Amino acid sequence: MNTINNTQHEHPEPRVGVYICRCGGNISDVVDVERVADVSRHIPGVVVAKVHTFCCSDPGQNTISQDIQAEKLDRVVVASCSPFLHELTFRGAVQRGGLNPYLYEHVNIREQGSWAHKHDPAGATVKAIRMIAAAVGKLQYSTPLDQIRLPNHRKALVIGGGIAGMKVAADLAGRGIPVLLVESSGRLGGRLNQWNRVFPTDAPAGQLVTKLLAQLDENPLVEILLNCKVTAVTGFVGSFQVTIEGPIGPAGAKTSAQATIGAIVMATGFRPYVPDDGEFLYKKDPGVVTMPEFIDLMRGQQAAAGQLVYKGRTIRSIAFLHCVGSRQIDGVHTPRADGKINSYCSRVCCTTTLQQALAAKERFPSLQVYDLHQDIRTYGRGHEDYYVRAGKAGIVFFRYHGDEIPRVEPADDQRRGTPSLHITFKDYLTWGEELTLDVDMLVLAVGFMAGDIPDLINMFKLPVGEDRFIQEIHPKLRPVEISVNGVLLAGTVQGPMNIEETLNAAGAAAVKASAMFLKDVVELNPYVAQVDSDLCQGSGACVTQCEYDGAIALVETRVNGKSIRQAKVNPGLCVGCGACVAVCPTRAINLNGWRLDQYDAMVDGLTADIPAVAAATTG
Amino acid sequence: MTTQLHKTLHEDIHLFGGKDVDLCMNCGTCTVICPLAREEGGTFPRRIIRLIQTGQKRLLLKSLDPWLCYYCGDCSENCPRQANPAETMMASRRYLTSQYDWTGLARLFYNSALTEILAIVLVGLFVTALFVFLHGPMVLSTPVELNTFAPVKWVELGDWIMAAVLSFFLLTNAARMIWNTLDGKQMFRISPLIYGKAVPVFFDHMFTQRRSRQCGSARSRAFWLKHLLLVTGYLSMLVLVLILLRWFQTDTIYPIYNPQRLWGYYATIALLYPTGAFMISRWRKKEPIHFFSEASDWIFLVMLFLTALTGIMVSLARVNGFPMATYVIYVIHLSIAVPMLVVEVPFSKWSHLLYRPLALYLVSVKKAAAAIPLKTQPETATA
Ligand SMILES: Cc1cc2nc3c(=O)[nH]c(=O)nc-3n(C[C@H](O)[C@H](O)[C@H](O)COP(=O)(O)OP(=O)(O)OC[C@H]3O[C@@H](n4cnc5c(N)ncnc54)[C@H](O)[C@@H]3O)c2cc1C
Ligand code: SF4
Ligand code: SF4
Ligand code: SF4
Ligand code: SF4
Repeated sequence: MNTINNTQHEHPEPRVGVYICRCGGNISDVVDVERVADVSRHIPGVVVAKVHTFCCSDPGQNTISQDIQAEKLDRVVVASCSPFLHELTFRGAVQRGGLNPYLYEHVNIREQGSWAHKHDPAGATVKAIRMIAAAVGKLQYSTPLDQIRLPNHRKALVIGGGIAGMKVAADLAGRGIPVLLVESSGRLGGRLNQWNRVFPTDAPAGQLVTKLLAQLDENPLVEILLNCKVTAVTGFVGSFQVTIEGPIGPAGAKTSAQATIGAIVMATGFRPYVPDDGEFLYKKDPGVVTMPEFIDLMRGQQAAAGQLVYKGRTIRSIAFLHCVGSRQIDGVHTPRADGKINSYCSRVCCTTTLQQALAAKERFPSLQVYDLHQDIRTYGRGHEDYYVRAGKAGIVFFRYHGDEIPRVEPADDQRRGTPSLHITFKDYLTWGEELTLDVDMLVLAVGFMAGDIPDLINMFKLPVGEDRFIQEIHPKLRPVEISVNGVLLAGTVQGPMNIEETLNAAGAAAVKASAMFLKDVVELNPYVAQVDSDLCQGSGACVTQCEYDGAIALVETRVNGKSIRQAKVNPGLCVGCGACVAVCPTRAINLNGWRLDQYDAMVDGLTADIPAVAAATTG
Repeated sequence: MTTQLHKTLHEDIHLFGGKDVDLCMNCGTCTVICPLAREEGGTFPRRIIRLIQTGQKRLLLKSLDPWLCYYCGDCSENCPRQANPAETMMASRRYLTSQYDWTGLARLFYNSALTEILAIVLVGLFVTALFVFLHGPMVLSTPVELNTFAPVKWVELGDWIMAAVLSFFLLTNAARMIWNTLDGKQMFRISPLIYGKAVPVFFDHMFTQRRSRQCGSARSRAFWLKHLLLVTGYLSMLVLVLILLRWFQTDTIYPIYNPQRLWGYYATIALLYPTGAFMISRWRKKEPIHFFSEASDWIFLVMLFLTALTGIMVSLARVNGFPMATYVIYVIHLSIAVPMLVVEVPFSKWSHLLYRPLALYLVSVKKAAAAIPLKTQPETATA
């Protein structure tokens, strides 16, 4: 089983160099690094063990490269900080020393050592030694690996032509990358086509759309497909095969087109929450409208009108209710059909509400305007101004608690010209006093719901969060990437965002996508499954187990003139999860870089008799 | 119980000088800052602002909080929205004064300086007319015979009539205050013992304004002293005029160290110095309490100052033997003092002299009453 390993050893015995970092005291204040080095020298195979104050510094890295030459090292361990920080740094140093970068192991003795065990220096020291022993053990079985290189098709697909998709397309095309922009409706701009003036600038929403449209129009690299949908996708990063069909809807003959795409950006946006019939009397009383409906009806007001009129009724008093369909509480709100409640804050509705309430008050000064909120979350630059101005304008604010939802009932007196709605709530700005308001209109500040894209979720295996939005790998460190390689997120497909945030996210996604096209090949980590054809019996257990379409399949192969079915891995699609390794009855599958024999060796290293080794140093 | 909201309350308060109520975002900084609210476990000034914003008139009328504030201005200084909570407290005191008053005159005077001045002038002319037509013989030889010109028993009678009328208005207004704040019927459920026990609180606060000394950082100790001086001057004046007039208004000229003269001079200084200083402070906007001045504030100070000034001039003219001057100035003096009292005592700023200690008295009554049935709920819950 270890035959390949042995033949690839340059020396009969591996020669390992171990470098222990002080991290300027971050590590050495707790871990006795000198002792770690002393003991490490006694681990079989270790030729050099050195301590350095900053291994990642130029002198630190040079020591490693030079030692590889001078001491004829063929494997290297650095025990330092988290691999997220410097694994690539030291791989580089190893490569400069003339060694395959995968004959390197990174041991984290800071986050998992000195920082975690501040109060147990002795324990942290022993732990560091054990982890180094495990790494050295693993390295005995390491083989040189190469990054997987796949052809990269220089063309991006953007799905969704809202402000996010438009921005991504404009940015990519601006950098010379051909873009295919697929929009399911007949018009670009998404939700912005519905809004009037948008905060925080109060510029007409249409202006933003027009500006981006102009950028798209003048760039020949952009191809826009309206009324179209992506209906199928195969392949992997660098070479996706996508099928696009259109026009959608019953009218006209459908056509379908194929394209080969290097990277895909999902920008399918969100849906405003639609209240259930009867929720706050929605659809039961004509005076109850959602925020999008309100924006629409305000746009429709006569230019010269002195009073707000809706459906033939004069509106003299109006209440805005925050958090409708957001910040819901278990046991208080009725779950949606999928059994979930919307516990998240939609982030945009507070400022929208204040902006719209203020606009209404400024347009119709005699209008009595009330605002019922849980909190005012005007977190962005310029948003708080709306709040201050709303106060100044005489809008009256009330604060309710999320578990005591305001009650909306038809007013007792239903004659024409009297308020039709009766709202009862406890106001926590007045120490929980129960108050009532009679108003002509109630505006429900509805929040965000994830877009309705089950087909895309299935097709791309998109990771869906608890809130139904598509989930990034890490909200801070990798905010626009998802676990599907080559697919990025832009805008509100990912969660509630205002336009500014949407455009920031879109810009980031465009940069990430551009970076993918810097080379004409896609380079991937070599940690993928590999089938040992000597052992594979073609049981197919791996194929059943694998979650990633096309990553592993049974194919006809000829062995000794006989045709048998054996598993074959597609390295572009395999993510190296290892599920197949666990189910193979003949142990025919291994993950490159994380082979089973390497695990065995690591366990041996971790459980080695350290006190004995330690005694050897003193003795 | 649900509260009916009064849409007009907040415009009303605006008329009484609470012009920045809308700016408040209910952050609560002012309440945290207020040394008096802290001490009382109170929730003002934010609560008062809130009641005004939302038009909860019932609760505002019921509240004693406005009287617990002595206007140090700390809250306004720290308000992140420049909503000027201290001035809102002041405005709510003016508003409450007008609400306790059943005649409607207080409201009229507060909202129109012209009406207030007109009322003062009318009463003044009435007093002048009384003297012009009814004065006794004017003896022009020395020593000055003031008691011949204006016999003390008649003046005293006038005093008493005025005092009776003013007391009637002031006390009925105060009764309305008690009725509002003790929630009507609840008033009778409290044992007389509790009412009795709390009486010292009333006099304690009336004479010392002890609480105003705990008020805020910006408030100088000098302010408290000046205010205290003013109160002693005022009370001296009332005692001398209402109770001791026969002893005070004499034709005999006593030596300078005689208590009759000394007390008079003290009262004069105790009125002149603080009112003068307060006017300068209002003019220059020195103390936070003087940053915002309504007409009623000026009228109060000016009238008080002129009363004291003419009073001392009467004394000087008499002692130095200028009969004509004495008589004329005496008439002017009363033509200022009387309208000042008639307008200010029940219907304007003066009334705080009664309402404030009364409020503290009622607070302590309420506290004592609440402690009995083991119910420490604040006033809102008892409705
Ligand atoms: C009531 C309300 C008022 C708002 N007001 C403001 C404001 O004043 N200021 C502000 O900054 N923000 C505001 N926002 C937020 C703003 O609307 C969003 O930030 C913005 O619309 C997000 O853009 P987007 O491109 O991510 O999504 P969207 O605008 O939703 O665009 C998504 C696009 O994708 C398309 N699409 C969807 N599914 C598919 C599919 N399967 N295939 C192809 N195409 C697809 C859709 O047709 C749409 O064109 C408001 C939001 C609401 C709810
Ligand atoms: S942004 Fe405001 S209205 Fe919207 S969910 Fe959050 S708190 Fe509620
Ligand atoms: S390692 Fe995971 S992704 Fe790769 S073939 Fe095996 S099961 Fe599929
Ligand atoms: S008056 Fe000012 S400090 Fe007080 S609650 Fe309002 S905003 Fe806050
Ligand atoms: S002025 Fe002073 S006493 Fe009055 S509420 Fe403000 S901080 Fe309190």
